[in-house]
Amino acid sequence: MSKIELPVIAAADISVSAEREGDAVRVLFRGTADMRVSDALDHVLGAVHAEAQRCGAARVDIDFRDLEFMNSSCFKSFVTWISQVRELEGEKRYAIRFLSRAETLWQRRSLHALRCFAVDLITIEI
Amino acid sequence: MIAFELRFNPNAALLRIVRRFVSSFYEGVLTDEDAISRLALATHELLENAVKYALDGATALSISVEPTPDAAARILIRLRNRAAPEHIEALRVLFAEMGRYADPSAHYLAAMERSAKSKVGSGLGIARVRTEGEMSMSYTIEGDEVSIVAEARIQSGGSR
Repeated sequence: MSKIELPVIAAADISVSAEREGDAVRVLFRGTADMRVSDALDHVLGAVHAEAQRCGAARVDIDFRDLEFMNSSCFKSFVTWISQVRELEGEKRYAIRFLSRAETLWQRRSLHALRCFAVDLITIEI
Repeated sequence: MIAFELRFNPNAALLRIVRRFVSSFYEGVLTDEDAISRLALATHELLENAVKYALDGATALSISVEPTPDAAARILIRLRNRAAPEHIEALRVLFAEMGRYADPSAHYLAAMERSAKSKVGSGLGIARVRTEGEMSMSYTIEGDEVSIVAEARIQSGGSR
């Protein structure tokens, strides 16, 4: 495993870290993603996207198991990123796997919606 | 009927506290955990809207829970605030988009497709409340005052 440097999110309620693990990039979210961090989240996901392409990752894992809440602005950041992945051609395209907690009920609905947006790209693990 | 109204100047930092407060309120009057989660999400989204667009920051949030003959509870979430003309117009556009889709999921997908290409704002809050929150939405405008109402019916067994 090797740590990936990400743009800093300057908010006390959230932390994001990333590492490479074999042919996957794993991104861990902890805390609350609300309107204060959506711009920073755009940069973070842009960096994840760039790193996944640079290292030829087959998959990016997004670990939401410690994410308490995500608002629609941050949800939009994911929509934009997923849209970019969707537009990649052939071998450049990588899979996205969300790791979620069954007890955190909003995750089931929000991740289902994201999967509908890119059903061939996204898997959800509970 | 159980109801309360908060009049305050919400800011981004306060939203997390208010979301937890309203979650506790819903937990006190409802038993359906999924409904509680949906309503807390909807309340948060509507409050964020007010934080972003309220002209003077002043916002009134009212929530009521009332029994109905055909359902255990009717939930109404109402947000009132003043807004600038361009934000009122943006709201009209979002509700017009909603009106084009009878199916909430189709509405949400269309909003996501639009949002993916947009550089400014998400415009997803209304679609998210409708679809993930499973709420019907309406709005009224009087002068520069905007009122958004989200309504849900929680079926039998859902209320305490």
